[in-house]
Amino acid sequence: MHGWTGKILRVDLTSGTVRTEALNPATARAFIGARGLGTKIMYDEVDPTVDPLSPANKLIFAAGPLTGTFAPSMGRFDVVTKGPLTGAIAASNSGGAWGPELKYAGYDLLIVEGRAAKPVYLWIEDDAVAIRDAAHLWGKDVPETTERLNEETAADAKVACIGPAGERMALIASIMNDMQRAAGRSGVGAVMGSKNLKAVVVRGTGAVTVADREAFVGAVTRAATKIKEHPVGGTGLRLYGTNVLVNILNSVGGLPTGNFQEARFETADKVGGESLAAHQLQRPKGCFACIISCGRATKVTNPKYKGRGEGPEYETAWGFGPDCRIDDLDAVTKANYLCNEYGMDTISMGGTIACAMELFSRGLLTREDTAGLELDFGNAEAMVEAVRLTGTGEGVGVLLAEGSYRLASRFGHPELSMTVKKQEMPAYDPRAVQGIGLNYATNNRGGCHVRGYTISPEILGVPVKADKDAIDGKPELVVLFQNLTAALDSTGGCLFTTFGIGADEFAELMTTATGVPYTADRFIRAGERIWNLERLWNLKAGLSAVDDTLPPRMTGEPIPAGPSKGAVSRVPEMMPLYYAVRGWDGEGVPTRETLDVLELA
Amino acid sequence: MQIHYFALLRTATRRSRENRDPPPPTVGHLLRDLAAEYGPEFARWVLRDGALSNLAIILVDGRDVRGLQGLDTPLTADCEVSIFPPLAGG
Amino acid sequence: MGMMLMIHPDRCTGCRNCELACVMEHEGAFRPKASRVHVYTWEREGFSVPMMCQQCKDAACTTVCMPKAMTRNRETGQVELDQSLCIGCKMCVQACPFGCVAWDLATAKILKCDTCGGDPSCAEICPTAALEWVEDTLSTRTRKQTFAAKLKNAFAEV
Repeated sequence: MHGWTGKILRVDLTSGTVRTEALNPATARAFIGARGLGTKIMYDEVDPTVDPLSPANKLIFAAGPLTGTFAPSMGRFDVVTKGPLTGAIAASNSGGAWGPELKYAGYDLLIVEGRAAKPVYLWIEDDAVAIRDAAHLWGKDVPETTERLNEETAADAKVACIGPAGERMALIASIMNDMQRAAGRSGVGAVMGSKNLKAVVVRGTGAVTVADREAFVGAVTRAATKIKEHPVGGTGLRLYGTNVLVNILNSVGGLPTGNFQEARFETADKVGGESLAAHQLQRPKGCFACIISCGRATKVTNPKYKGRGEGPEYETAWGFGPDCRIDDLDAVTKANYLCNEYGMDTISMGGTIACAMELFSRGLLTREDTAGLELDFGNAEAMVEAVRLTGTGEGVGVLLAEGSYRLASRFGHPELSMTVKKQEMPAYDPRAVQGIGLNYATNNRGGCHVRGYTISPEILGVPVKADKDAIDGKPELVVLFQNLTAALDSTGGCLFTTFGIGADEFAELMTTATGVPYTADRFIRAGERIWNLERLWNLKAGLSAVDDTLPPRMTGEPIPAGPSKGAVSRVPEMMPLYYAVRGWDGEGVPTRETLDVLELA
Repeated sequence: MQIHYFALLRTATRRSRENRDPPPPTVGHLLRDLAAEYGPEFARWVLRDGALSNLAIILVDGRDVRGLQGLDTPLTADCEVSIFPPLAGG
Repeated sequence: MGMMLMIHPDRCTGCRNCELACVMEHEGAFRPKASRVHVYTWEREGFSVPMMCQQCKDAACTTVCMPKAMTRNRETGQVELDQSLCIGCKMCVQACPFGCVAWDLATAKILKCDTCGGDPSCAEICPTAALEWVEDTLSTRTRKQTFAAKLKNAFAEV
């Protein structure tokens, strides 16, 4: 096979057995790779009602067919499993060089099953796969674990690991790779921890081949040119990173503030991308094969929050910043570093602290509960301390580690958790931007922006401007974006490439790389197939139409001030239309006809 | 009337905000004034052949002018104008 | 006058596109281990440096090469490897103080930058111009000029 390596590595940690299997070419064509292929394997092999932290859940590391090639910014992989935060299918996407290295070692996917009796790590060097003792690494943070493993395996091996948060099965734990990149969402790190798997270290000496070398190089050149020449992808992201969005969202009145109580933060500029570029930024960073370089190598010299590392991204800066009513970018950046070091999702961490702050400000969470920590809005020191406590599993951190839904429920107010399917919503107020709200409500992994990023047309005007306040045409827009993203995630591609290219270019890259003739339509259809398969999984897991909702605040409490004053989310109006566009019945269940068309029946 | 600049436009204008009093009558007048004053590094993002370039995001009181009256959107002394170069994130 | 590959670590994002372009050019497949350029990244600091053959004037690899497979082309200034003369003794691998000559087990041959015959694919693909193919006598002019501009700005602000 070309593009795909054609091989799956399966490791059963309970029995300690390792075997390889051939990848079925027809399945690969239909589900592409990464997110899609991982989901297909979960669907075929794992009971959706399984306890996500039990040995019966599986943890799949899946690269795409373009991963490891120089298709521009397309070196990514997904971690697919049942998410313990949401109870839904999880696929957390990450960049860095780990995914390509898995391909060079000879594998499209690594399936981890069972549970090791004691802490272990996997050392994969091409065909040689060893399950090694990790007792000496247990308790170590991500940078130290990574460095230790590079010392005891190979300096050029790539490491994906969990930090102390994942070890303790914090429901907001991430899996970190290449020290600074995160498969962040849905608690995938807790699943890794539940398997007593500290790390997967991989080194590959093999090759990824493409079907038609000349045509592929041509397709890559055209795609790269479009991305570079696009005014958005070309230089903006390299100069300012994703955090450039703080000011625009604030200016339109869509920057969730104080746990989504308001949508505008007076001093937002102080935590925006321009401030980051002027103060903390050392240089831009790129993931493997990236030509966009949105990554931020940063440094904080302020002794109180001293450190260095990567970030913050926009969602992170927002979560620890405006959502907590904090405008100290040093503190925000430090919170980001701590999340990377302990292995925690920055969006869920930020959203959970914001929720805790609202509980605190309402007197529902007391100083007794926080062991004296003044966890109130605007308290930057307390925010950073709360992150640290969550990482180490001390004090109030034990409660925060479960995410905001369980935290708010514990104190009798689940409505104060700004989550969809128990996962924290990101940095775009769904009352101010109607399409993104519909995407949150219908997203297969709960509160998530990157799988139907309608912010692009609704706020940025890319590729065309859509009215953010309108609901006409939004269900169609959301469905199209969700389908396209499902397909492109599955190739190993980065979402940001869509600021320059679309389905046509992806189809050409896929065709020339794999030799399988994809058209734009066929590509998007594959995305629709993947979306529906995720939906089927979730329905079997016990989720239903009642879970396709936003927190009551979004529909019941109008934005109090600013340019979007008075707005509420109109998701309930849009939902029946969304189901119809999807070919689902009134209960959100895909109809027989829909499944037939998608060859999922 | 206050104008806010962001990202690359802060480099082009060497400032993050300024006041214009009295304000020009419309967004079109304002953009032409600013383009003349700050030169091509500013103008290339906002105007093309005298029309909105569709690259920059121009907000009047937080509302995108493409959803208002475009270049004819009226300005008053208490308006707040925000001008962004094309940008993305996520 | 000759050409040289100028490395600007301050611009390098660690994306390794150079490795991929190199290995596609020379091997026709994406096998970074066989790339003639490698990027080293310090993740804690977020700093990356691409490394490849520096085309030394007094090249240790040419001195130790018994069959004279590795020679310096006086005209272009490049150190060239004639694979047909190479006996695979790996003395050049031992001798290169930069570690920029390597032995590839898979193909049983020496890997060394040949500047793609004077049109290096690594420099062409580099998204940030961290690798530049420039005239050797002018190679540092940009760097000098950039620093001069910084001085200028510093004085202008006084």
